[in-house]
Amino acid sequence: MKRKISLLVAALMIFMSFSGIGVSAADERVVIKWATQADTTPATQILIDEFNKSQSKYTVQWVQMTNDSGQMHDQLLTSLSAKSSEYDVLSMDVVWAGEFAAAGYLNPIDRDMYAAGLKKTLYNAGSMAAGNYMGKQYTLPLFPDLGLLYFRSDIVSTADAAKLVSGKYTYKDLAAMAKKYKGKGGTTDGFVYQSKQYEGLTCNVTEFTGAFKDIKGGLETMKMFTTSDFVPKNILSYTEAETHNAFINGKAVFARNWPYQYAMLTESVKPSQVGIAPLPNGSTVGGWVLGINKNSKNAAGAFEFIQYAAGWTGQMIMSRRGAHLPGYNYLLNDERVGNPMLKIEGFKNAIKTTISRPVSPQYSKTSDIIQVNVHKYLSGGQDLNTTVKNLQNALK
Amino acid sequence: MGKNSNRFRTMVSVLISLYLVVIVFPFVWVMSASFKPTQEIFGEGAFSIVSRNPTLENYVNVLQNGILQAMLNSFIVAGLTAVYVVLVATLASYAISRFKFRGKNLLLGVILAVSMFPQMIIVGPIYNLFMKLNLTNSYFVVLPYSTITLPVAVFILVTHFNKIPMALEESATIDGATSLQTLFRIIFPLAAPGIFTTAIIVFIAAWNEFLLTVTLNTNKSYHTVPVAISFLRTQFTILWGDVAASTVIVTIPTLIVVLLFQKQIVAGLISGAVKE
Amino acid sequence: MKRMGFKELLFILPAIVIIAFFSLWPIMKVINYSFFDYQLNDQQKSELSLDEKFNVDLFNENADYVAMFIDMNRDSFPEDAQGKVDEVVADVNELKMLLADKSGLIELSGGLKKQIGEQYAKLESEAGYFVSSYDFPDRENLKLVMEDMGKCFVRSNFIGLQGYYNAIKDERVRTALGNTVVFTFVSVAFELLLGMGLALIMNKAMRGQGLVRAVSLIPWAIPTTVAALMWSYLYDGSSGIVAHILQTLHIVRDSKDLLLSGGGAMASAIIADVWKTTPYMALLLLAGFQTIPAVVYESAKIDGSGTFNTFFKITLPLLKPSILVALLMRTLDAFRVFDLIYVLTGGGPGGSTETMSIYAYKTMFQQTNFGYGSIVVILMVVFVALIAAFYIKVLGANVMERD
Repeated sequence: MKRKISLLVAALMIFMSFSGIGVSAADERVVIKWATQADTTPATQILIDEFNKSQSKYTVQWVQMTNDSGQMHDQLLTSLSAKSSEYDVLSMDVVWAGEFAAAGYLNPIDRDMYAAGLKKTLYNAGSMAAGNYMGKQYTLPLFPDLGLLYFRSDIVSTADAAKLVSGKYTYKDLAAMAKKYKGKGGTTDGFVYQSKQYEGLTCNVTEFTGAFKDIKGGLETMKMFTTSDFVPKNILSYTEAETHNAFINGKAVFARNWPYQYAMLTESVKPSQVGIAPLPNGSTVGGWVLGINKNSKNAAGAFEFIQYAAGWTGQMIMSRRGAHLPGYNYLLNDERVGNPMLKIEGFKNAIKTTISRPVSPQYSKTSDIIQVNVHKYLSGGQDLNTTVKNLQNALK
Repeated sequence: MGKNSNRFRTMVSVLISLYLVVIVFPFVWVMSASFKPTQEIFGEGAFSIVSRNPTLENYVNVLQNGILQAMLNSFIVAGLTAVYVVLVATLASYAISRFKFRGKNLLLGVILAVSMFPQMIIVGPIYNLFMKLNLTNSYFVVLPYSTITLPVAVFILVTHFNKIPMALEESATIDGATSLQTLFRIIFPLAAPGIFTTAIIVFIAAWNEFLLTVTLNTNKSYHTVPVAISFLRTQFTILWGDVAASTVIVTIPTLIVVLLFQKQIVAGLISGAVKE
Repeated sequence: MKRMGFKELLFILPAIVIIAFFSLWPIMKVINYSFFDYQLNDQQKSELSLDEKFNVDLFNENADYVAMFIDMNRDSFPEDAQGKVDEVVADVNELKMLLADKSGLIELSGGLKKQIGEQYAKLESEAGYFVSSYDFPDRENLKLVMEDMGKCFVRSNFIGLQGYYNAIKDERVRTALGNTVVFTFVSVAFELLLGMGLALIMNKAMRGQGLVRAVSLIPWAIPTTVAALMWSYLYDGSSGIVAHILQTLHIVRDSKDLLLSGGGAMASAIIADVWKTTPYMALLLLAGFQTIPAVVYESAKIDGSGTFNTFFKITLPLLKPSILVALLMRTLDAFRVFDLIYVLTGGGPGGSTETMSIYAYKTMFQQTNFGYGSIVVILMVVFVALIAAFYIKVLGANVMERD
């Protein structure tokens, strides 16, 4: 009978082993594995192809991660905490960089940058600051992002538009305008922004409170917006998707969103009908950065790739083919990038007034506390003083 | 009497129909959304069941995106899990039900306790193990699936075996059959409905699994349906049209299989029932 | 019942091996974590250590940086400080020589400990001199790197039961527990009632039975994460048809309340769960129905027992073991609920649907605090074990024993 069982087990093993552990064909080039999200634009693939063509030592392979950034974070964390060398190059949301650096998962790159003659000032300052922890630089930008105010220039008066573009206005002014213009030109909402309990809420709180300088005032303003009639009644479930749906379909006069929304203006609302302005207290920096896994067996190749991706050619591809902002500063004034946003005055002003979410290795926890407390306050489940107190404690 | 039972029957029929509508409605709605262009999924077209501009674009998208491969993977993974877990669980449950041994209660206690821990805690250690053994990106992911399926399987089967009278086996033992022969020749056919139910439950549990696959099998060619569908999004938005189309593509074949074979399934269930 | 011999042991061996490998081993790890202040994002806490350790890798990295930041800024220092620059570089190299054959976390002892201590103090004062005497581009960075270097000396992060004490006092744990209990009891109760009804229907021969059976299984065959996504679309405050219908029928005041008020979100999650898992409950019960011999019903009929009477007096008691197992399985599952709520509400609004699993997951994977997350998991298991014990005590002495 023992024999029968062992036969059974053996059969099961054979049955299962058809899964086969892949043996890759011999390749002279060193393979660099890059963990980055799925891309709806061709940019990522082109970037990889161009890099592979540009030299003969390395082949970059794309390990596709989900676009659900929370899920991607947790997946990377599992892999990195196991000290695995599964990935060589990692794409990270700016807010994870500090956390991963503090955990010792990333290779600092100052020495490589120094050797290659690269100065930090070549790159987008916000992205670089996000990847700097305890005096060491860990990342280069893949693409930066920032919060913007989109408005309908065909509805808003020239005087108001000028005021917005200059950035010299307050959230109260914005509220007044939203009230005034709501309903004009087929719109149903004055202002749309992100208020669901998720990371986007932290970005908006950062903006409303001027990077947490005036927590109480900022939250009161947010509550006033939430309960007003110029925002949608379910603003507390708004993410970027709801925001851009409302704006590109001509339902909202004002919208707070990232640069990607500009490329979506095609049918109902055309780019010519839209203006861009900085947000009253500054724009939150977002976006993605590239870092090197500390346990990578090909750190030199990994650096060569991120240097390429964050440099002139790589950023040109990301901007031209992926409609992202360039993280390589020279490209901001380069006509060939072909991104019409870069010429808009309000956009240029916005780049000058960026603010950051709290930088901390405990960022996820801080952000989570902000989200839970503010959402509770805005939905009427908690009073203002408790909320302010809890936020202050979290930010310590 | 006849009148009464007629009214009763009508009532039951109405209740059943209502129940069916409630059960089916969400799925039908998603099916209708799968034919809508993005603008109609949210906004004005959202409340109409028929699209103004019906489109097959969503289906084309997800079919190009390899949803069929994901389905195949799901079937392989869930099928393998069902087979090996039910086999292992049958052996163990038979022993627990039929033999006296020390530590039986401890074993049952451990099995029960295991099913109280959330699945997330096994992800880290299993990932380490799989990396070391070079098993990531393979169908070996079915092995840790045992955590979520084996305890349930053992519990259901033990209760089941306990209900099967021992008289038959005793005579078999007298005839000189070994324990394994008794199990497979006598108990197995008798316990068919329970085993069958267990297999379905295990299959679906594996079919539902998300966290382990997404962590262990990062290679797209090993993605299962839940993982593949979670990839249907851009940085800021969920591609609802694609999600709806995938849901339909995945559910319809399952539904057809059940409809086609439900007679056999039912026959299997009934014929296996204990006849005394 | 036979005593078990060696051959019979082989019956349970595969199950034991599998459980030991894929369940018990990870569980032991979690229990171990719970006694440590174990946080991945802090290199002083990212290993379990019972005594003082020294982080060689971090030390080497920082020492390199000290040398690099001073060497790189050579031009900013006056002529007479150039010698000091070379001295720092030499000192760093010396330090690295001391640790040349070491890596990772090590225990420092005896002579090496003394040597490292002395060299470290020397380097610290040298770097301090540059920071305080000169102005150069990487001055701030050098300060930070020195600070980071201090983190190489790692103290024990064993905290015993302190973490448990913190967790018991943590209001968020209590809220999460409350949410979990509400979710579990309400959804399991509904599932049991509906599942019983469904099982009765499936068990009876009648017209259209095949359709009922097939259709009933639809929700179950849709993967949980996908079903949750689907429901979040149906519940959507502006475009969700279910939210819209409920508002039109005045069941909810406003369609947005469904996912944006605490009660609404919990109810939504429960409805989705009941929709999804009732078929599972029905199937568990159906298998029980099948083992009730037809003779029992026939004799009941002969005795003139009515339909309801038969059900309560005969079917239900015979079904008790199956009900208990189904209840137990579903309670354990519901108590661990994760995918559904994570996708549907993410624990919101304001934490009102945050269950123990969600809180544990957030603590462990998003905030990388594995020590505290493990404690949340263990507390959760303690509670669900209490519930399981209660079921077994109240509902039936011991289902696992043969009558």
